[in-house]
Amino acid sequence: MFYLIGLGLGDAEDITVKGLEVVRKCDKVLLEGYTSILTVGKEILEEYYGRPLVLADRDLCESAIDEVLIEAKDKEIALLVVGDPLGATTHTDMLLRAKQFGVQTQIIHNASIMNAVSCCGLQLYNFGETVSIPYWTNTWKPDSFFEKIVANFSRNLHTLCLLDIKVKEPTEESLTKKVRQYMDPKFMSVKEAAYQLVQIIEKRNDAGIISKNSKAVGLSRVGATDQRIAVMTLDAMQRCDLGPPLHSLVIPGPNLHPLELDYLAQFE
Amino acid sequence: MVNFTVDEIRGMMDKKRNIRNMSVIAHVDHGKSTLTDSLVSKAGIIAGARAGETRFTDTRKDEQDRCITIKSTAISMYFELEEKDLVFITNPDQREKSEKGFLINLIDSPGHVDFSSEVTAALRVTDGALVVVDCVSGVCVQTETVLRQAIAERIKPILFMNKMDRALLELQLEAEELYQTFQRIVENVNVIIATYNDDGGPMGEVRVDPSKGSVGFGSGLHGWAFTLKQFAEMYADKFKIDLVKLMNRLWGENFFNAKTKKWAKQKDGENKRSFCMYVLDPIYKVFDAIMNFKKEEIDGLLQKIGVTIKHEDADKDGKALLKVVMRSWLPAGEALLQMIAIHLPSPVVAQKYRMEMLYEGPHDDEAAIGIKTCDPEAPLMMYVSKMVPTSDKGRFYAFGRVFSGKVITGQKARIMGPNFQPGKKEDLYEKTIQRTILMMGRYVEAIEDVPSGNICGLVGVDQFLVKTGTITTFKNAHNMKVMKFSVSPVVRVAVEPKNPADLPKLVEGLKRLAKSDPMVQCINEESGEHIVAGAGELHLEICLKDLEEDHACIPIKKSDPVVSYRETVSEESDTLCLSKSPNKHNRLFMKAQPMPDGLPEDIDDGKVNPRDDFKTRARYLSDKYEYDLTEARKIWCFGPEGTGPNILVDCSKGVQYLNEIKDSVVAGFQWAAKEGVMAEENLRGVRFNIYDVTLHTDAIHRGGGQIIPTTRRCLYACLLTAQPRLMEPVYLCEIQCPEVAVGGIYGVLNRRRGHVFEESQVAGTPMFVVKAYLPVNESFGFTADLRSNTGGQAFPQCVFDHWQILPGDPCESGSKPYAVVQETRKRKGLKEGLPDLTQYLDKL
Repeated sequence: MFYLIGLGLGDAEDITVKGLEVVRKCDKVLLEGYTSILTVGKEILEEYYGRPLVLADRDLCESAIDEVLIEAKDKEIALLVVGDPLGATTHTDMLLRAKQFGVQTQIIHNASIMNAVSCCGLQLYNFGETVSIPYWTNTWKPDSFFEKIVANFSRNLHTLCLLDIKVKEPTEESLTKKVRQYMDPKFMSVKEAAYQLVQIIEKRNDAGIISKNSKAVGLSRVGATDQRIAVMTLDAMQRCDLGPPLHSLVIPGPNLHPLELDYLAQFE
Repeated sequence: MVNFTVDEIRGMMDKKRNIRNMSVIAHVDHGKSTLTDSLVSKAGIIAGARAGETRFTDTRKDEQDRCITIKSTAISMYFELEEKDLVFITNPDQREKSEKGFLINLIDSPGHVDFSSEVTAALRVTDGALVVVDCVSGVCVQTETVLRQAIAERIKPILFMNKMDRALLELQLEAEELYQTFQRIVENVNVIIATYNDDGGPMGEVRVDPSKGSVGFGSGLHGWAFTLKQFAEMYADKFKIDLVKLMNRLWGENFFNAKTKKWAKQKDGENKRSFCMYVLDPIYKVFDAIMNFKKEEIDGLLQKIGVTIKHEDADKDGKALLKVVMRSWLPAGEALLQMIAIHLPSPVVAQKYRMEMLYEGPHDDEAAIGIKTCDPEAPLMMYVSKMVPTSDKGRFYAFGRVFSGKVITGQKARIMGPNFQPGKKEDLYEKTIQRTILMMGRYVEAIEDVPSGNICGLVGVDQFLVKTGTITTFKNAHNMKVMKFSVSPVVRVAVEPKNPADLPKLVEGLKRLAKSDPMVQCINEESGEHIVAGAGELHLEICLKDLEEDHACIPIKKSDPVVSYRETVSEESDTLCLSKSPNKHNRLFMKAQPMPDGLPEDIDDGKVNPRDDFKTRARYLSDKYEYDLTEARKIWCFGPEGTGPNILVDCSKGVQYLNEIKDSVVAGFQWAAKEGVMAEENLRGVRFNIYDVTLHTDAIHRGGGQIIPTTRRCLYACLLTAQPRLMEPVYLCEIQCPEVAVGGIYGVLNRRRGHVFEESQVAGTPMFVVKAYLPVNESFGFTADLRSNTGGQAFPQCVFDHWQILPGDPCESGSKPYAVVQETRKRKGLKEGLPDLTQYLDKL
């Protein structure tokens, strides 16, 4: 049996009771560590769950997962995923492959930023397509996500922007070499995200419906005890420090419901 | 320096119309360095008597031992033209008014093909070339190669027929035969010139013509030379004809009847060819009289030609006397320097038409105008063409030519390497020029500054440039064009220190070696191997010796030389290859196909290149190679290194966000083109088509980390499904030998998979020339083998010519290419066996 278990957003205690029971009885537990992170480290989780965890990086999850799945044919193996297991970054491919190998699977859901974002007061019903904002490099500056934000905005929908995290990503130079070198981990802050958005707005210069003065909501460490939310213009967001990771950014639609407005006002 | 001081030279440097920058080029052993010595002796740097023996420009010990030139060497010379000769210079840009002196910067370059990169570097900084041809062997393969290069760089040639002494003393040619030999060489040279230069082009007519005085004759070894001008001067008074008219009469189909005193255009019983009668006859008489010890005749002759024997030479006879007489009658320096001053262009003239070939930037910016007008007040533009080792180990002088402005000691300048792009910081340094120097053969002299049109060296620049670069003070300057070599580094060896603790010294030594030679490549493989790649066996031998003795100074172990191969495909991929990214959300669909014959060469030659306007390029590809016009417009890139002979074409339609992954796909393509699937050798002649792409909607999931490795896997799958093949480098090999040795040559070539495609007799001599193609891989020890099989009578010259498919399927064990693949994989530390298609090809 292969379990995909969501860990929720905050710390070790956010795991569901069902999830915890599975973790305790499994032969082997992997912790996926590249799509998101908890506010606590692996050691704390091990202590709380009372069992050792194997850290699964991108290479393992994407390229070497087959071996794990084959092992799961006659063993109980769990992969722990921060947030909801099928949330932002899909692990659907894993489930498809498990099916190919004839391995049974079970998913244990949990909270994800996709629903927890409602803590800022914007109604979940009014969110449009979710986008991710990647870290730009000197040569790679994609901006296609901006069009999606605009499309949402023009339909009066909010956009949840997930911000890039690089936990163990190979450096650009080493991508074309055999020996991989990895970048230091980095997590995009709302500050950096707002900066890139403003860059795009200035570059496009088409006086689009979203401007530097459009409203933006910054969220950090949603689900943790020290979570923070801030509401200000995109321009001001470029200078806003919301503390340690993870951060998310929301671009609200232009016309908000009075309740949404009232709720947001608390964070201005 | 006897004749002039640095201050005097500096004074001359400002008179840009009186400067001649020239190189001496020729086939190996045609006598360049010896001839150069007679020029130097005239300019007064070494004593006149020793010219012909010292090889002044061969500064290295091994050069003097082997009697070949390995590195090109520059010398400045000063020469005054007499009033009567000045009238021959008609172009006002070819001399300053009221200045008789000329500053001649001469570069002597190697003739052996393995060192032709040195020739390329020499040509770049000069405007004219003295092409030396041994009149006994005639125009040889390297004569053609260097001449072709010269014309392509817009270098104006003049011709010198060397080794006339051999023609007279050894071959005993009759006057008419000798004339025919000369005539043929002039024709051969002019045919090459006409092939590569358009008379209507910006350089105008560059043909050489004895009757114009742009062809010299003589013997560098004996120190005598003449052009028709010298002889015309002797007879002008007697005939009472204008000098120029007389020169015309002295060459070609002009015959003189001594009895009737009439000129004719045709030979008849009575008359005689004027060249034989007035030029060769006197020379033959002197030779005959002296070599046959006809004492009484000698004195009379000497009086006629106006030579008086000095007291100390009075008791000489035979060859020694001949030398003395000929040298005082027709001094080589005088004739050659006149020829150079009159016929070679000044920087002012040359830079006008050379600018567009030299400068990458817009042809109307400040730098371009500065180069075009050779203006010393314009911003500095200098091209560094090579690095010359200093006596201080590990440091180099940057040697080059100032094309515009002035380079000054202590000046702050921008030093731009070949990878510099305007507006970017890469390969750019802003540093102070520590010192400018004059380079004179074995010596250097400090000089305060050097204005445009001159050649000089710089101290302190070597740390910022690998081999070549542009130095400028103009902020918006583009690079000067990178030199294109006629040879490529196809032979390689792996080196390691005998004592492993010396590794750091080896690494440092390799860096220095890379600097000191314009072409050698020093590569650090990922496997930790250190590779040195050169043009041929001799080139590598010299490089390794330098590495061991001068650059690393440690004992070195070297592997047997190996050849670099190229990977290619012979058919189109039999399936549409799909590869999925690690996260499975991105899918690439591609195919590989071989390029049509000729296209890889067109790319090598720059006829099709990444900088072309894409529309013009597409039109060319569609006209010449029947490529679909729309597809040909969507060539994403060339590779490897962005310029190589493989292309990636976007044949997809309507894929959203495709441009966001273009850079990643290109990076993956460059990687795969550099390290092919079979043995990680470069690819050659492969076209990849992208047919479709599926992408994750979110940019974060289609970054380089996902796309680059996927592209490589997909390209590998394309290669494996398209009947991969290996290509090996092939030399064009020219062998000169007497007839009896020809049989031996065939035997040796057959054993080495070579094949002869041309065999001909050198007209007027008993020598044969055999031309053959020889795989580079079979060329190791070829020279020695050939010598032992022909009794030492055959001398080959091998120059890289083309790539050729190594017959057989590399995927079939037992075939030759299979063996090569396995050997290469083993050497590179790759998994033995064949690459596995399932690793690269994904299922839908």
